[in-house]
Amino acid sequence: MNKAFAVLDPIYLEYAQKYLGRFMPITRDELIDLLQYCEIRKFDKRTIIVKEGEVDNYLNLVVRGLVRKYLPVKKDEVILQLATEGHVVQSEISFLTRTPSMVVLETLEPTILVSLTYDKMEEALGKFPKGERLGRLILTGMFIKKDENRYNRLLKSTRERFYEYIEHHPHMLQRVSQKYLASYLQIKPETFSRLKALMAKRKK
Amino acid sequence: MLEEVRQFINQHTELTDEEFQTIASIVHPVSFDKRIKVVDIGEVATTLYFVLKGISRRYFYRGKHEVITHLVRENGIMGSVISFLTGEPSKYVLETIEPVTALAVSKTDLEALFLSDKKWEKFGRRILTSFFLQIEYHNLDNIRFSTKERFINFMKQNPDLVLRVPQKYLASYLEIQPETFSRLKHLMVKEK
Repeated sequence: MNKAFAVLDPIYLEYAQKYLGRFMPITRDELIDLLQYCEIRKFDKRTIIVKEGEVDNYLNLVVRGLVRKYLPVKKDEVILQLATEGHVVQSEISFLTRTPSMVVLETLEPTILVSLTYDKMEEALGKFPKGERLGRLILTGMFIKKDENRYNRLLKSTRERFYEYIEHHPHMLQRVSQKYLASYLQIKPETFSRLKALMAKRKK
Repeated sequence: MLEEVRQFINQHTELTDEEFQTIASIVHPVSFDKRIKVVDIGEVATTLYFVLKGISRRYFYRGKHEVITHLVRENGIMGSVISFLTGEPSKYVLETIEPVTALAVSKTDLEALFLSDKKWEKFGRRILTSFFLQIEYHNLDNIRFSTKERFINFMKQNPDLVLRVPQKYLASYLEIQPETFSRLKHLMVKEK
């Protein structure tokens, strides 16, 4: 086993196995084989991992910490993802097409990533017996998720999206500033505060 | 009609003649009249179509309101793709706008193809990557461009659709109010 992984908390393997297990059953041995292709990257909080205009060379699984992905728009920015433990985060278009990134990735907490470069990914998918299948199924999963997000954004009201998010991610209110959550949900900060106050009132 | 399929596939991967024959053996021609629901909400989609001629739209209902998320024309893949991939009932209606002729492939045949060889798995991944990129570009464009910019970009890139698809469908697809769409269209004509 790769030395870098020998010193790792087993919980990191759990995250990787859980993520890949969504696509196909994967044994611990297969997982360790696959992880040989990966590297561990550690970042302080508030570190830019991918700049706008830079080609993103990595597929990352967050095993500790929090990464925000945002799209700079004129003088503003819109948060596209808040990735915590067990989530995969990257500048997808840049990674897949090898073109400069439109989005920025930044850590909000000290963060540890299990990362795979584009070339290593192609190599691993080619060599690993079920690799190409895994690759196809991961892409299928990514695509379904994007479609679901778009469907929900178009179908649901601001209020519904707010309540669903808070219900499914209650810990995020403690980990991320309200301004970021509002941006992620594409809700005005004032509306976010109002909905949060309403929710607190209801609980009493 | 297989030549179009070959050109489409060549955008993603190079196939030998023999490999192409494998593809040709699992597709079959179909046609639909205009305004036909090819897949309805609640049905499980088991077929994907490569469009040779015609246009279709995919939409769901927000209350009584139709929300159009896809317009597919020649050389595109039409289907209730998420239902096809997940095996779950479709949340979308797939309906033709113009009469459509297409080449159909069943989920069973496509899955068997993927499982038969690694190279077909890779081919599947490439096609799915293109689906993924399409939706992600659409998402980012919706955020980074103003309504007016989105309208102009769309008109420039899809002058044919403007002639073939009713304005209210285009407005829905672009997430623009129909009145705003009309106003922008007048403005554009004037500026010319």
